[in-house]
Amino acid sequence: MNMRNKTALLLLLIIAAALLGIGVRCFYLQYYKADYYHEASVKSQKSSFFERPRRGSILDCRGRTLAASYKVDTVFAEARIINDLKKTTESLAAIIDMDPVEISKLILTARNPGYAPIVTDAKLTDEQRNQIRRIRGIGIESRWKRIYPLSNAAAQVVGFIGTDEHGLAGIEQQYNKTLAGSVGQSSFFSDAARRPVRLEQCQSFAQDGADIILTLDATIQQFTHKALLKQFQEYEAESAVATVLDPCTGAVLSMVSLPDFNPADLSGADANSLGNHLLSDPYEPGSIFKPIVAAWAVETNSIDPNETIFCEDGHYRGKGFGSIGEYRQGFGNLKISEIIAHSSNIGMAKIGQKMGTQKLYEGVTLFGFGQKTGIDLPGEEYGFIRKPDKWTGYSVARVPFGHEVLVTAIQMARAFCILANDGRVVNPHLVKAIVSDTGKKLKITEPMPTGGFVVSKNTARWIIRQAMREVVTDGTGKKAALDKWEVWGKTGTANIADRTSGGYDEENYVASFIGGAPAQRPAVVVLVSIRKPNKKLSKGYTGGSVAAPVAAEILKNTLNYLEI
Amino acid sequence: MTGKTIANIIACLVVTLMALGVVFVFSASARIDAEYDLSKFYSYPEFRQIVFFMVSMIILFAFSRLDYRKLGFCFTGVKGWIFNISVLLVVTSIILLVLVLFLGAEVNYARRWFRIPAGPVTINFQPSELAKWSLVLFICAVSVVLDKKIKNFRIFVLLSLLIGLVVGLIVIEDFGTAVFVAFISLVILFAAGAKWWHFLTPLPVLAAVFAFAIFSSPERIERVKAFILPDDSIAQTSGYQIRQSLIAISTGRIFGKGLGRGISKYGHLPEDTTDFIFAIIAEEFGFLGVCFVILLFLLLLFFGIIIICRCNDDFGRLLAFGIVLAIVLQAVINLGVVTRLLPTKGIALPFISAGGTHLFLSAMAAGILMSIAKRSNAG
Repeated sequence: MNMRNKTALLLLLIIAAALLGIGVRCFYLQYYKADYYHEASVKSQKSSFFERPRRGSILDCRGRTLAASYKVDTVFAEARIINDLKKTTESLAAIIDMDPVEISKLILTARNPGYAPIVTDAKLTDEQRNQIRRIRGIGIESRWKRIYPLSNAAAQVVGFIGTDEHGLAGIEQQYNKTLAGSVGQSSFFSDAARRPVRLEQCQSFAQDGADIILTLDATIQQFTHKALLKQFQEYEAESAVATVLDPCTGAVLSMVSLPDFNPADLSGADANSLGNHLLSDPYEPGSIFKPIVAAWAVETNSIDPNETIFCEDGHYRGKGFGSIGEYRQGFGNLKISEIIAHSSNIGMAKIGQKMGTQKLYEGVTLFGFGQKTGIDLPGEEYGFIRKPDKWTGYSVARVPFGHEVLVTAIQMARAFCILANDGRVVNPHLVKAIVSDTGKKLKITEPMPTGGFVVSKNTARWIIRQAMREVVTDGTGKKAALDKWEVWGKTGTANIADRTSGGYDEENYVASFIGGAPAQRPAVVVLVSIRKPNKKLSKGYTGGSVAAPVAAEILKNTLNYLEI
Repeated sequence: MTGKTIANIIACLVVTLMALGVVFVFSASARIDAEYDLSKFYSYPEFRQIVFFMVSMIILFAFSRLDYRKLGFCFTGVKGWIFNISVLLVVTSIILLVLVLFLGAEVNYARRWFRIPAGPVTINFQPSELAKWSLVLFICAVSVVLDKKIKNFRIFVLLSLLIGLVVGLIVIEDFGTAVFVAFISLVILFAAGAKWWHFLTPLPVLAAVFAFAIFSSPERIERVKAFILPDDSIAQTSGYQIRQSLIAISTGRIFGKGLGRGISKYGHLPEDTTDFIFAIIAEEFGFLGVCFVILLFLLLLFFGIIIICRCNDDFGRLLAFGIVLAIVLQAVINLGVVTRLLPTKGIALPFISAGGTHLFLSAMAAGILMSIAKRSNAG
């Protein structure tokens, strides 16, 4: 036989060479391509697990919940790894009590092959969880759901969060970092059904967010909301705001802006309802500005509290300041307190003229107008006070009754708090304390050091106990009167400047009342401003008729509640 | 070096390979929710492999004691044909290959297996594996007995037709194995001294059959595509398996992730205990493990060549060549597939992949190789 020995051996040597070639190939794969395939393995074999921290709660001053997070489960399908759709859906359907056809439909129509939500916001039992985990291609995802027990009533103050749990308004936005905590992340190698094989590394543990305790009182907030909403709807107003503050500390006890929205469901909310009009909506305050100017005039000795001023019988005209009239009837001689009580524009114009531009500007600025109050909410506006060198004869006669200045409602409330606090400066604020998830106090709001006086105690007490008390007893604010307490305050019916024509519009007003009680030792300051009550309803549109009753109701409920 | 020493070296190499196989079949069978019911241990591939390993060692040493010359034609004439083991094996193989088409169990849309229930256990048997070794034995035996007649064209055609029949029966269900069996059969025939131009006659027929086999099956076209196209563009479809294989090999880097610490075996890499077990070895033992496996096969090849050279008996020499060729070439093809040097086909890694049939028959072949080594005089 002629066996081809050499050919056979040559063939075997070629096979040996091929084996060595495979060795080289493996070296190429394992040394040079290792990083490339490592990337690929991370994509196909590794899963990440994010542990979402519990977002901090927002509580009122008595520990009642204003916003809190609790856990809900989403059952989802990873369509691309499901082999037997029928079997999968049937076994899942048995656990979560759903129609298997319905489940199949959800899986088949899902846009994302890796995530088809089947049940959202469910509360699963431990047994259900274990059963579901055993089905290939079905996963459970837990997430935090935010609830807002007061719903619309405290919407703008508490705010809301977006789908990524990021605060988008109110306290939720202002203190987002504090509330959010930090996400825990760990990655692990998983099998083809995405079950963990081995924990690779735990990069971080979740850190729950801190709780925030507000000065807000849920009960007072609800009184305020209810009272304001009633009037807002009855008068078909464009917007309305109300706030209750503790004048001694500047603590905000309630804060309502209408129209409102549901922080848990933003559908139907628009810019008008989302905005907090107390902070973001500067307006010409009108008559509620008068007590500030009067107090400052007394403080600077420009006038004497017992002085009488001739109010020109309702027609005051002159070179350099044009013509000034009253809202209704004209007045003759009025004492300073009567000018406030009856809200005489001419009287105030004359006081302004006596003071002069420089002093008046100084006073307005000292009361905090034209500056942010620094309240711990986002979106606060500055308002606008013209620089004194731009003031004319018109200005000095009109600023005293609240024209030619733009202020925010919170600035007004703060200025009245200063008066109610014997002239001492206070800053409005909402956060009382921040407490970490372990119970550690992170921040306590300290009371303001009582250093600066804007006006003296005597001036402040005179303007409250005398002038503004008379507004409620004899003047324009009679509807704010209560039997049990001595209410003081000031009404305002401000024209809304028409930006296009430059003049004032005779149809649109802001009806305001700002005041407090009791006159001897003010416990609360209340501001109510209702923008554009519908004049055509013929129910009235003035501060005295629209806003004062609301303030009275809020005051009555609040003082009863606080047992004052 | 005596023949016995060489036989022992072969035994060492083969047992090491099989032991490695047992370890990695066990490792690759790992599942997250593994709960073993040991009363049914035979239903777990990883435990079955241990049994196969022990039986294989018995087979290995039994065949090494058997005189390989008894596998050749011991008698002349028709009696020689009837009493020849290889002839009986070929006939049995053909019958089983026909039967498996009707009685075989369907796995992955192909009937390649017999499932024989035997009491509490089920014996799986793959006739194509038996056919492969039967043909190797038969061609060696026949070539020797025909001697110079092998150069006769008529004889060549007859042998080719027989090979064609066996390969044709295999190709119906298992394309990869068919190509492999056809190739080694023709190579042994060539080494036995058949005229080279005779081989030109069956080649067009084979080429036509294989071309038809590829284009008649969408799955095979996909496999060829998966081989030609860059692997990330088809990572989710037909190229999934090979990409997972490359990920497994590559992420093992030089030193490997450590025994049992691989990730790909958790459902990412299909066929991880059988055809793709080398990827798991490369993942867990790294390049060092790759070198070890390649070294074992190279040594097997090297000592195989020594056996061929030392043997002064035509039948022994041809048979040793056939056995070494079948084992090492199969290893090369398997490694080539796993490292994406060749298109995917279902071919096991000798001695290592899970599976009883192939392990027993490979052990038998290695035993015969040992027998040849022992019975040849030092040259």
